[in-house]
Amino acid sequence: MKLSLRWKIVGGFGLLLLLIVLLGFVTVSLFSSLRSVQRKVFNEAIPELVAVDELVRSYTAQSAAVHRLLIGSGSAPLLDQYRQEVGIAEVWEQRAERLFQEAEDQRLLEELTRAGRRFQELVDQEVIPLAETGKRSQAFRVLGSEGSSLISEIETLGSLLRQSQDRVVAQSENQLRARSNQALLILIVVILAALAAGTMLAIKLPRRLVADLSALVDATRAIERGDLAQKIEIQSGDEIEELGRRFEDMQAGLKRLQQLALQDRELEIAASVQRNLLQRSMPSPTEATVVPLQRQANLVGGDWYDVHAAGKTLTVAVGDASGKGIGAALMAAIALSVLRAERRLGASPKLIIERTNEALREASDQDSFTTLIYATLDFGSGEARWLNMGHPSPFLMKGPADDGARTGYFLEGPRNRVLGWFDDPGLAETIVRLDPGDRLVFFTDGFIEAKSVEGEVFGQHRLAERMQSLSGLPSGPLGEALVEEVERYAAGKLDDDLTMLIVEFQGANPEAPSEEGVGAWHSRK
Amino acid sequence: MAQQKVEIEITDANDYRVLRPTGDLDVYTVGSLRDAIGTLIEQESPKVVVDLDGVPFMDSSGLGALMGGVRRLREAGGDLAICCTREQHLKLFSITGFGEGVSIAPTVEEAAAGFRN
Repeated sequence: MKLSLRWKIVGGFGLLLLLIVLLGFVTVSLFSSLRSVQRKVFNEAIPELVAVDELVRSYTAQSAAVHRLLIGSGSAPLLDQYRQEVGIAEVWEQRAERLFQEAEDQRLLEELTRAGRRFQELVDQEVIPLAETGKRSQAFRVLGSEGSSLISEIETLGSLLRQSQDRVVAQSENQLRARSNQALLILIVVILAALAAGTMLAIKLPRRLVADLSALVDATRAIERGDLAQKIEIQSGDEIEELGRRFEDMQAGLKRLQQLALQDRELEIAASVQRNLLQRSMPSPTEATVVPLQRQANLVGGDWYDVHAAGKTLTVAVGDASGKGIGAALMAAIALSVLRAERRLGASPKLIIERTNEALREASDQDSFTTLIYATLDFGSGEARWLNMGHPSPFLMKGPADDGARTGYFLEGPRNRVLGWFDDPGLAETIVRLDPGDRLVFFTDGFIEAKSVEGEVFGQHRLAERMQSLSGLPSGPLGEALVEEVERYAAGKLDDDLTMLIVEFQGANPEAPSEEGVGAWHSRK
Repeated sequence: MAQQKVEIEITDANDYRVLRPTGDLDVYTVGSLRDAIGTLIEQESPKVVVDLDGVPFMDSSGLGALMGGVRRLREAGGDLAICCTREQHLKLFSITGFGEGVSIAPTVEEAAAGFRN
């Protein structure tokens, strides 16, 4: 039977309570039947017996008094004694009439009283007048024949009445015995039942409870050791069974957490690989200052950058793989690796982009793509060139005017398509000549797509406005301030990575040897 | 904000279906769009117009799912066209170059008129 622990305990105690009530009821009924027998014997049977005895005794005494009166010489005290006994008999007659309730007893009493009356009539109307007129022997005869037979009738009726009362007492006795036997039987049954219920409550229930709880304790110990395959089999149908089920659920939850922790660990490894892949030291040519900034929304992300200086050329790449997490990080790693390898092999920027596109096309799924800008800065001429592969346009911040103010704008040059999706993404280039002091700011879409709590994006216009207003700052603090602005705008909840590279052209170094950088735009490789 | 779901309504037009996502299309919600397109391919309804009027924000993941949809639907013998009037999305299509190969128009009918297959 499926019962909750609460109902088991309530049921057990309820049963005990019921048995106690039954015990009380049996005891009370036993006492009340004792009382009724007592009442019957002491209030009815015994007074009735006494009344019958007194009546019979009174008539016998009357007869004796009259006899002695006839034997003696008519003494007045004996007549008085007779009269007194007649009065006594009347009193007992009245009392007996009230006492006897049974029809048979009443009939016997009536007969007895009638016989008594006849005896008194005989004495008063015949015996005493005969004795008074000196006819004693005749009076004796009358008394001897009629009187004696009446007295013996009275005695017979009295003994019949007495027997009837004895029967009542005996009946009561039997009744009492039967009642007490019955009560004893009920008491034994109730006590046995109470014992059984008590035993169940005191032994079986706790034992089962303890066994089930022990199973749970064992399971928790095993779980503590890291064994998350505990099967908890409790079928008590109560809260303990429910607890067992919850334990199994918790175990499943812990398993999931364990897997997540493992994934987190893998993610940390991936993050560490990504950190190692990203540049750890920036080249610091005298002709240009390069400031990289990055805030990742997650442990790993799709944003990346690469800066290389060789001879009088600075090469800068900023990329963004679509999506988030490991998938995006893998795409970033592929792009970065291919790009670096091709550059080391001396490939031209266009070839590098083509190769990177091929590699990404092979590796990407249908929904993934990478945007990037691959740019070079010629220190000698100040000429900056780049290929924009579906990426946000860079911002050109002109060098400070005489009043110290800088002007700036987005350089919307010819645009190509994203990498990793198209066979031919296009290779149109943008060329711009920088003056010393000019800054080129490359960034990823995280800056313009950062959302406020209300869901409004930061947008290109806000970015341009901030760049303008903060342009008085040196490159490093400028970048930090811009990142902080965007983070504040998004209330600290960035959904996408923020990556920015600020390249400030310092002007040609006249002492530098005139050699060509690797991967020149006109290279055939 | 980030964990919001996107609701996608699918309606029948003449010989194509219209998908109307409502909500942001970003890394957290693109799964729904991808699944909806997958279901239409299974139902052999490979001509789809995605109406972006109910999408206030779309990031690179959302764009990726749309472009992946173009590729998959074309492989299935259909096409994906985009109905969009939102400047922000149009700019994204233009920056990435996706706008060049896909029919993008301000109304569903005009977008559907540009189906390739």
